[in-house]
Amino acid sequence: MASAVAISAPRPTSRRQVLIEKLIGCGFVFPVCVLLLLLNIVPLGVLALLSFTDYQMGAVDFGFVGLDNFAKALGDPVFRRAVTNTLIYVAIVLPGSVVLGLFAAVLIHGRLGSRPFYEIVYFLPITTTIVAMAAVWQIVLHPGLGPVNAVLQRLGFEPVMFLSDPAFALPTLAVIGIWQLVGFNMILFLAGLSAIPRDLYEAAEIDGCGSPVDRFLTVTWPLLGPTTMFVIVTSSITSFKVFDTVVAMTKGGPMGSTEVLLYAIYLEGFQYFNSSYASVLTLIFLVFILIFAVIQTFVLDKRVHY
Amino acid sequence: MSMRSWTSLASVAVIAGMLGLPGGAARAEVTLEVLYAFPSFARFHEPIAQKFQEQHPDIKIEFRAPVPDYDEGHQLMLRQAITNQLPDIYYSGFHLLRELAETLEKRDQIIDLGPLFEAEPAEWRAENYSETLLALGKVNGKQYGVPFNASSPIMYYNRDLVKAAGGDPDNMPSTWDELLDLAKRINDLEGDVTGISYDVQGWPDPWLWEAMILQQGGRMVDENNKVAFGGEEGMRALQIFRRLVDDGGMMLIEREQSRQLFQAGKIGMYFDSPALMRQMTDMSEGKFALGSTTFPLDNKEEGGVPTGGNLAVILSQDEAEQKAAWEFIKFATGPEAQTLVVELSGYMPTNKGALGPDYLGPFYEANPNFKTIAEQMDRSRPFGGHRGNAVRLWRAQRDIINNYMRGNLTPEDALQQLVTETQAVID
Repeated sequence: MASAVAISAPRPTSRRQVLIEKLIGCGFVFPVCVLLLLLNIVPLGVLALLSFTDYQMGAVDFGFVGLDNFAKALGDPVFRRAVTNTLIYVAIVLPGSVVLGLFAAVLIHGRLGSRPFYEIVYFLPITTTIVAMAAVWQIVLHPGLGPVNAVLQRLGFEPVMFLSDPAFALPTLAVIGIWQLVGFNMILFLAGLSAIPRDLYEAAEIDGCGSPVDRFLTVTWPLLGPTTMFVIVTSSITSFKVFDTVVAMTKGGPMGSTEVLLYAIYLEGFQYFNSSYASVLTLIFLVFILIFAVIQTFVLDKRVHY
Repeated sequence: MSMRSWTSLASVAVIAGMLGLPGGAARAEVTLEVLYAFPSFARFHEPIAQKFQEQHPDIKIEFRAPVPDYDEGHQLMLRQAITNQLPDIYYSGFHLLRELAETLEKRDQIIDLGPLFEAEPAEWRAENYSETLLALGKVNGKQYGVPFNASSPIMYYNRDLVKAAGGDPDNMPSTWDELLDLAKRINDLEGDVTGISYDVQGWPDPWLWEAMILQQGGRMVDENNKVAFGGEEGMRALQIFRRLVDDGGMMLIEREQSRQLFQAGKIGMYFDSPALMRQMTDMSEGKFALGSTTFPLDNKEEGGVPTGGNLAVILSQDEAEQKAAWEFIKFATGPEAQTLVVELSGYMPTNKGALGPDYLGPFYEANPNFKTIAEQMDRSRPFGGHRGNAVRLWRAQRDIINNYMRGNLTPEDALQQLVTETQAVID
């Protein structure tokens, strides 16, 4: 035994070593795998299973209905409205929060003494609870008692019912969404900015890039590519998952104008107790998020690395 | 819960055995877990529990963290039914009782209080409970709940604005046409004053919508589960809603925003629960003179008002706990506890005895606004409780009413849509 090992010395030992290392590696990964299985994969499986049934919350039994729930979802005007509302919301919040976040970051980056002050000011919205802030927004936007409408009226406009007019409610929530996200995006951009080497700016200046706009377009913006991609991915997923402001401020109203995807799922699952249909909508929601992440990672990835 | 009481029961038995005591002498302490909605209602739930425990030292009341509203409590009950974590006593919203009872009944997790009532003397029942109110706690012929808080919409008004518009604040109109005329006059006053606010389109439940049908003596659904408001009553309700906006200047905003405006003295008349009487009284102090009156009825004979609120149900499956829970419910719906509820909130008392001179008589004498709700007690009609999911039904109806009040639908189209959508959810 011992001699056999000695003859073909290097290979079996290394093979054994590799095996041991693999086993140790598996040992390290094992707890995470179990957690992933228990917390993500199994619930997802249950969700998928439920979506083929007619289960109602609290019911003692259920039957399988095949693809009925999926067919219903595709033809459901309420669900379609929720998808449209969500996309409109994302279409406003995503560019708004990215552009403003970048703008704030570039402006603050050059400041020396006052930088921490601005950082804190812009970051404050993230540290507040939205339920408490919702009350503040409701007062600020109050049609009769709020300061915003007082200013509008002073300027000669009719008061706007920001949260009660179906035409204004969703854009209003989107603006609040931007307010929530700008600070976070700004911090990410600031991190990206500090990673840009100083000498590139000096080189650009020697090459004739004098104005700040030129410097931004030739150096800052291209080098912020990876950061921008990351910010876009996280911002779109965050805005796609909008829920808390809807619950705290409009409850999907007026007239369903702020009923977004997650709120529609919440209504079906926890207000109408239609667990199986809510499962289908959740699956569709997950597919949306997945598509977002995949497109952005693969398409944008190619264009931002040098 | 029942686990804990079993162990405590067992340990008491063991100790009793060791000391050689006769089994019956040691009384086990029963702990009841109670859940109610609206955290601010702690102001009467807590003192009631305290008084009860003074009188029943062998029963301990433990409140679970209150849920924000009836809907969330309802969802929690349905979830906890599955995981077997239900409280022993729960205060369910009137309009959600049917769904709760029908779901829990199948799982054997709710009890019929009928036999418990029958075991008590008949005079006691007659002295304390109004049969009209008790009927609100019945589902499919079984008495699942005893009304604890009850209220129907009343009208709050700003006496100063009414006077300024030439109305008599001590003698408010009692029909809708006269009321809307007054609302128009208030709305026409100088300044940014609105005549009336009846926030049916922004209400979290169909309370004010049903009120407008019931006040005409109509009903929402007939005994065959067919929509019953599709005729004259529905049309009349929609016409009143139109005039609220056109004549009364009503703004289509959120309920809280309306309430804030009324409390700031900028709305003439405002409809809400009498449970806000305490808050309204405090908020209006120093700003304007607050008035209140019963809900105007177009049909004085058959008209009524939908009665919302909550009722106590027993969800415990343990016999000793059920007995203790019944004692607690009798106390909480008794005259002493109900007096506390009324004085601390403004609700309608659910106990007949509480109206007597020993209890609420002197309080009503001193606070006439609080008496308004008691004056429409005999006009109580059931609220909600139709077949189909209540939340889905109201979201559908509310959107149509909102769209109509914004002037996007003719009354005929709106009524047609309301009937179709309602029937679709009920079926």
